Amino acid sequence: MTVFILLACLGGVLVGLSRQLNGRLSVSTTPLIASFWNHAIGFAALTCLGLFVGGLLPAGAAEAPWYAYLGGPIGVIFVAVGSWVIARIGAVNSALLIIGGQMVTGVAFDYISAVPASFWANAAGIVLIVGGMMVSRGRRKAGGAQ
Amino acid sequence: MTTEAARSSHPIYFIGAFATGGLLTFMVHLNGELARYGNPLFSSWTAHGTGIIAAVILLLVVHRRRTPRLEKAPDAPWWAYLGGISGAATVILTSTAVNSPLGLSGTLALGLAGQVAFSVAADSWGLFGLPKRRPDRRDIVALGLVVTGAALIILFGRGAA
Repeated sequence: MTVFILLACLGGVLVGLSRQLNGRLSVSTTPLIASFWNHAIGFAALTCLGLFVGGLLPAGAAEAPWYAYLGGPIGVIFVAVGSWVIARIGAVNSALLIIGGQMVTGVAFDYISAVPASFWANAAGIVLIVGGMMVSRGRRKAGGAQ
Repeated sequence: MTTEAARSSHPIYFIGAFATGGLLTFMVHLNGELARYGNPLFSSWTAHGTGIIAAVILLLVVHRRRTPRLEKAPDAPWWAYLGGISGAATVILTSTAVNSPLGLSGTLALGLAGQVAFSVAADSWGLFGLPKRRPDRRDIVALGLVVTGAALIILFGRGAA
């Protein structure tokens, strides 16, 4: 169990590390070029892994709907914007806002798709997230006025 | 004071970061669909492959209009190209953790903790070539609120009756 806890935490660390490295690359190039390399190097690494362990072309894959393949192009925009903002507002603010955006739209998405959900937990969660983002922005307004 | 200059940055960065967080929801959903028909490795591999095509198309559209840069930034160090490896490894770790007693919510919550710990460390020490930004008390309060809210949604809100 401890191993799985560590793996899950490390997964989060790698998300942050990836954004940090892509952000550094975008400083020397452009955010879109950083996003291109992120996908090209990731694709190469996953191809090597797939050739080693197998499973790159699973049997049921052909039945997936066409729109399921749009995750990749969305990811290009996601990585490009992430690289653009992290170099300007820092890792903490980037993480804070991206997590906030993900959670708020995630809750909205579940309500639209009629996934059973706890209204009060979600509502309280969104209030805390929006409150957190307002605290973060408030300091910047005060700083900008000086 | 580069630190203070960064603090009064334009709201467009904040809107952009929040909006891409929204994109992430749809990306996770779509990649999850692909993994359901195939497997997580196929899903990530395909997403990276279609991503390359999308990036090349966007670069052709954007860079044709781009005027050459006046100040040339120093070349990126070799390790800055490894963000893709880190991203690809994330898929393997999280899909392993999801299929453990932690489940999806446990994996998401712990991943959140890992991401927050890393971002605080990255800003505090200016890790991997990005500017150092000592997180102040307001940053920590903001982060605490967002993380508590996110944990509430992940652990008690989404998918719970």
